[in-house]
Amino acid sequence: MTGLIIRRLIQLPIILLVIYTITFFLAWSLPGSAVLNDEGRAPDPKIMEQIEKQYALDDQGKFYTQYLDRITGLRWARLNLQGRGDEAPYVFDFGPSFKFEDWNVNQIIGDALPVSIVLGLGAITIAVIIGVTAGVIGAVKPNSWEDVATLAVALVGISLPSFVTGTLLLILFPVVLNVGTVAGWGRASDILLPAFTLSLPFAAYIARLTRMGMIDELHSDYVRTARAKGVAQRSVIMKHALKNAFLPVLSYLGPATAFAMTGSFVIETVFSIPGMGQHFVDAVLSKDLFMIMGVTLVFAGMLVMFNLVVDVMYRWVDPRIE
Amino acid sequence: MKKVAAIVGILFAALALIVISDRTLPPAELTVINRSEFNTVDPQRMSYLHDLRLAYSIYEGLVRWDNMSEDFAIVPAAAESWTVSDDGLEYTFTIRENAKWSNGEPVRADDFVFSWRRGMLPDTVADYAGFFMHIEGASDFLDYRVDQLSDYAELPESEKSAERAAALYDEALAYFDANVGVTATDERTLVVRLERPIAYFLDLAAFGVFSPVNPDLVRSYRVFNPASGRIEQSVDWTKPPSLVTNGPYVPVSWRFKREMYLERNPHYWNQDAVKSDTVEIIPINDPNTSVLAFETGRADWNSDVTAPYVADMLDAKAAGEYNNIHAFSTFGTYFWSFNCTPKLSDGRDNPFHDAAVRRAFTLAVDKNDLTDNVKRSGEKPARVFVPPGSIPGFENPEGLPFDPERAKAELESAGWLDRDGDGVPENSSGTPFPVVEMLYSTGSYHADIALAMGRMWEEHLGVQTRLVGKELKVYRDDLKNQRFMVARGGWFGDYGDPTTFLDLHKTGDGNNDRGYSNPEFDALLERAAAETDPEARMALLEEGERWMMDEELPILPVWHYNYYYLFRPPVDEDGMPNPGGLRGISTHPRLVQYLWQLEVVTEEEAEAARRAAGATASASTDEVGP
Repeated sequence: MTGLIIRRLIQLPIILLVIYTITFFLAWSLPGSAVLNDEGRAPDPKIMEQIEKQYALDDQGKFYTQYLDRITGLRWARLNLQGRGDEAPYVFDFGPSFKFEDWNVNQIIGDALPVSIVLGLGAITIAVIIGVTAGVIGAVKPNSWEDVATLAVALVGISLPSFVTGTLLLILFPVVLNVGTVAGWGRASDILLPAFTLSLPFAAYIARLTRMGMIDELHSDYVRTARAKGVAQRSVIMKHALKNAFLPVLSYLGPATAFAMTGSFVIETVFSIPGMGQHFVDAVLSKDLFMIMGVTLVFAGMLVMFNLVVDVMYRWVDPRIE
Repeated sequence: MKKVAAIVGILFAALALIVISDRTLPPAELTVINRSEFNTVDPQRMSYLHDLRLAYSIYEGLVRWDNMSEDFAIVPAAAESWTVSDDGLEYTFTIRENAKWSNGEPVRADDFVFSWRRGMLPDTVADYAGFFMHIEGASDFLDYRVDQLSDYAELPESEKSAERAAALYDEALAYFDANVGVTATDERTLVVRLERPIAYFLDLAAFGVFSPVNPDLVRSYRVFNPASGRIEQSVDWTKPPSLVTNGPYVPVSWRFKREMYLERNPHYWNQDAVKSDTVEIIPINDPNTSVLAFETGRADWNSDVTAPYVADMLDAKAAGEYNNIHAFSTFGTYFWSFNCTPKLSDGRDNPFHDAAVRRAFTLAVDKNDLTDNVKRSGEKPARVFVPPGSIPGFENPEGLPFDPERAKAELESAGWLDRDGDGVPENSSGTPFPVVEMLYSTGSYHADIALAMGRMWEEHLGVQTRLVGKELKVYRDDLKNQRFMVARGGWFGDYGDPTTFLDLHKTGDGNNDRGYSNPEFDALLERAAAETDPEARMALLEEGERWMMDEELPILPVWHYNYYYLFRPPVDEDGMPNPGGLRGISTHPRLVQYLWQLEVVTEEEAEAARRAAGATASASTDEVGP
């Protein structure tokens, strides 16, 4: 287990470097100027030239190495060794945001990530509860009306885009029933609707995974043995079959959690939530180079970490796995 | 199963922990929805409308506009009075004795010198730096500093240091003091000398980028970058509680993409003018969500409604079913640009280089049809660039009407007529008119307009058209580099003078995306700039606008923009105060809103008015009765 963790942690920086390089070339090749506003007046060309020099926007190679120097913490270490630590406020410095001039990318991600994590955790929790319950019901009574009903709901959950379900829920709860809030973040009631909307596709997938797993397990020899021994149905399902049927769900949960936690552009836009998701899209549309790099690297890092966490959990739930 | 439950339990615990650690603020007296997060709170760097609106609420410039007056008059603000020299070159402002920063310190003339110098410095990267270049010596100062920084960049690495950069800046300061026409002659007197007389200088001085910043605050957050020699401002200086401002409000909380929370500045000199004690500004990007948020009572004012169903809301208002939507005409014009350069970006001859072709294409567009049947939200069709009635003393020309016959004739006069009977006009060498490519940015109504306008051109001129929709950033890049034939555009004026529009046609202007160049028009603008008699100057500018809109047409004006607000009307149908209604919105086309002027009608006030009305009603019944 320790070996696995160490191996993965050594891989992490290599993966990140590859991702940084690819993202850098893609982002750099985006058309348009990174420092020019989308609307309004264009600053004096002399001033534009200054800012482009400042961030090495006029020199691809220089930009690549300068930024690498900042995000790896090398610059921080060097400046601190030289006794100029106050010039480097962050160990891993993602740089400024071009669009939101009063914030740097570290602050933006620092603000947005916890929001997305809460929303994602909430959504995954709801998805697991709904999905596993529906999957078990479907598996215990295959092809019954309950099974067909959960299948139908799961299909709707996967197929309906979240801007439709989100908007419908917004109109149904806060507007018509006067329950919950339309926009905002902070109160527990702000979390429920978006988390539920975000959970639907995950819940649907988990329901199908659980159902398939459960049907397999319920037909297996050890379940038949348990039943022959007179173990109660409830105990067979909860104690024996579900435990094994949950494994595929667990392996799905790794990437699913990472995806849910790094934010959803649509959900965050519809519910006006200050999370990570909108930054992915906004940053690309406004060619906010540092922002693109920052959010991509954080997302990649989280993806790797979550896969590691799931692998560890996997072994913990099922010690047979090596 | 226990282990699975444990996993779910851990998830829940983590959730609860983060939720608890978040805090919420008490509801504000006034809540405003903005379409997006503020781009900056640094007044010198501002250029977006929502940023400038904030500037007018937390900072106070020397003068401000009376946004409720017909002529958008200039009134005293941080300066209590001013004098102008006879030659119109020198302005002497006297700062109010009781003008204070939110930390209680007095606002001094030097603070304005510091702030305006920031606006000129290339280090600040101000979009509106150009506005400061009217000041004597400012342009040379900018060049001086740019040269200084370029020379510094050439130095060997070993000679670069923060100290060296700071020393360099001191030299720049000395240069500034000796050469630039902004001086504090004492604590309360600011003398500004201009390059040449500018009729609208006070209007400029009221603009947000001329607001003062607190020098001690800004200095304590700046570092000299040893690599470039530039002054670099740490982004944290604009965050509460560090931020010090001199306006009616001071921000007490700013959480990115959540809210900006303002409180009354206890040291502001004009407390009576400030209506609400607290203001909360929340950014909501999604047009639909921002409407729903207003409708569920989350906010008192939605300051930018862009939902696709605005037209339906306006219809409902006209039918008397919904009265919270408000449309105001603005100081802006929606237009389409003609590429005016001789050659297209691919090397072909550009037919739109010929003014007659541009006139033909303008005459062939039925703008009423576009506003009534395509946009459908009450805009005024435009024949001119400067919105009529927005600038006192400026008379607009007629502009070109919708006249398909004349359009055809204009096109023929330019040599384009259907020579082979296929319906498409050809030039004298038989080359058909190139397919007109219409560039626009996707995700808005521009595609609909392009489609409708293209059909008009096809019908009335016989040309073929093709839509070229591009994502905003790409569109803008193409536009700035003249990689288009015709392209959608728009412009909002910044100050109350026609030049804020007409300068766009100047050769080489940073916003002249059309590549239009006419030395005679440039000379006309020069003559107007040199003209000291205000009426003669206006007459010259009127001639300029007439020339551009009747003959040259670098742009095809389509409509004058409307702005859409959602707020409950301050009085109901019976003329009684309407609880939750919003008072203090300016309807002047310049559309400057001062947050400190806005006030939500309270339940108590409405109740009191109802009682008073009841009393008078019964009193009058008494009189009539017996």
